[in-house]
Amino acid sequence: MSDEESGWHLTESDPGVFTELLKSLGVPYIVDDLYSLDPDSLAALQPIRALVFLFKWLPQSDTEPDPSLSSGSGAQYDPDFPGFFAHQVVNNACATLAVMNALGNIPSLPSGPQLQELFSFTTGMDAQTRGLVITSSDWLREAHNALSPPSAISLDGLGLPKTSEDAYHFIVYMPAMGCVYEFDGLKSHPIRHGVYEEKGEGWIAKAREVVEARIATYPQGSLEFSLLALREDPLPIIQSRLKQLQDAGRGNDSEAAELFVRLSNENSKRERWAFENSVRRHNHLGFIHALLVAMAKAGKLQPAAEGARTKMQERIARRKEVGMDLDE
Amino acid sequence: MASATILAFKAGRAFRREGTNFVDHSSEKGAIILQKGEDELLHLIWRNRSTNEVEEDLILFPGDASFVKIPQVTGGRSYVLKFSSSNQRHFFWMQDASISRDDEFVKNLNLVLEDPDRIPVWQIGSSSQPQASTSQAGSSRSAAAPSGTTPEQLAQLRSLVQSMSGNVPQGEPELSLNDILTPENLIPLFRSHPDLVPALFPHLPPDLPTQPSEEVMQQIISSPQFRAAVRNFDQALRTGMLGGLVRGLGLPEEAGTGVEAFLRAIQEQASGEDRMETD
Repeated sequence: MSDEESGWHLTESDPGVFTELLKSLGVPYIVDDLYSLDPDSLAALQPIRALVFLFKWLPQSDTEPDPSLSSGSGAQYDPDFPGFFAHQVVNNACATLAVMNALGNIPSLPSGPQLQELFSFTTGMDAQTRGLVITSSDWLREAHNALSPPSAISLDGLGLPKTSEDAYHFIVYMPAMGCVYEFDGLKSHPIRHGVYEEKGEGWIAKAREVVEARIATYPQGSLEFSLLALREDPLPIIQSRLKQLQDAGRGNDSEAAELFVRLSNENSKRERWAFENSVRRHNHLGFIHALLVAMAKAGKLQPAAEGARTKMQERIARRKEVGMDLDE
Repeated sequence: MASATILAFKAGRAFRREGTNFVDHSSEKGAIILQKGEDELLHLIWRNRSTNEVEEDLILFPGDASFVKIPQVTGGRSYVLKFSSSNQRHFFWMQDASISRDDEFVKNLNLVLEDPDRIPVWQIGSSSQPQASTSQAGSSRSAAAPSGTTPEQLAQLRSLVQSMSGNVPQGEPELSLNDILTPENLIPLFRSHPDLVPALFPHLPPDLPTQPSEEVMQQIISSPQFRAAVRNFDQALRTGMLGGLVRGLGLPEEAGTGVEAFLRAIQEQASGEDRMETD
């Protein structure tokens, strides 16, 4: 089914968007950017429920290697996986599909009734059918589409050449039944990467190996990627611990001070996400029009247009030098 | 502007025998010619190829007429032009020497009857010139083929698209709105015109986590999300298809045909409002 026929809009893949989706699904988890896989960075974010690796190949790279099975530590397809695994049936739904593959394998997941119903309805189905059920789920599609810019001026269906703003490819790594699993909606089955030890970092240690091995299989500079962590929302935990300390008269000691810092960081992050989502979802047509009219009335539109023409010519000249396609 | 021939093919007329369902072919040699007239309307003309006289000139509204085969007539080359708006019926029969081109002519005719801005598509190997001889040298106007097209045909197609409806082909853009609505251009404007800022508040997202202010507005115009929206709108304008949308902004339809046209219309709108204010 084409993206246009499916009614699923392409969404951005940033933590604020994912967290908003989780909220609308009634799941008290958040998604954060991971800038590093080192133990200290990850420890600060525990408990982490799943890692999401998103990437796209850059134009100059060669044909895709299939590095999932190259980590050498007994990675193999698991066609008999009893947990949740759905195929990606519509490209634009890729972000939500990855989230579903992660959430579907978290035991005792707190969630809203619609999500619970969806998971129980799809019990025992094969991956393709699950993918189709997810894709035809109206309420889920609406929750997904609510994250993207309004479709009043959607470019779908206008037949414009696709730019490199295409969808990322999403892969979920998480623990299931004592092993680290890889869920890739474009692969036929989940991939089992082997057992992990409960002690210390737990499954994260194994997952780190797998992800680093994967990244290493791509030629230098050929990959654009991000790592995200799906984790429990720390805000209520910080708040209740702080209250505990304050009630015990320890509101001024170092633990409380540290918690205040974390609380303040979390809050400003949420505010930033709320701001970005608000701007992202808004139809800016009226604003754009009003800004241009204001520029015109102030006599600034003509000079700005002249400047814009010059900039465009410079840009075209630079790209011709470098030999790039303008529509990139 | 003289009439432009969109397509043409050899065809004779046929007439219903009074009181019966029989349709008699008239043996006169003719041609059906589809033209965009000087009146900007779509004309279907039947010209007698022997006398060169136009004996039928029908004005057709988009989607109203269709050219349908009459299967009951032997030979399989009889068609009727029918209308959803009336009971009019005009009968024709294909006169091209080769029956193999009938489908192509009829398909393209119906395409254009449905939407006069459609460009007919001709199969490779068939000449891109309509078979019927017409005094309008309109043959180049119907050239369009998906693959195996020569550079000359591509050039013809490009100029055809440009001449048709003010559509600018997807070539290199002259300027982008993203280079106009920059913080460098807008922040000084907010400073020099402080009244502008609160006047813009109603256009801001209604669910911002903080109250609107000049600082918030600066954050918005610098944000990747707003810049993406401008880029989105810029690309949509370049398709030339936003005529309907821009009417909602009080602009003429012409403003939706491209970025330059949009900016011109804004300039006009701003001057008009200024004039009103000084009355």
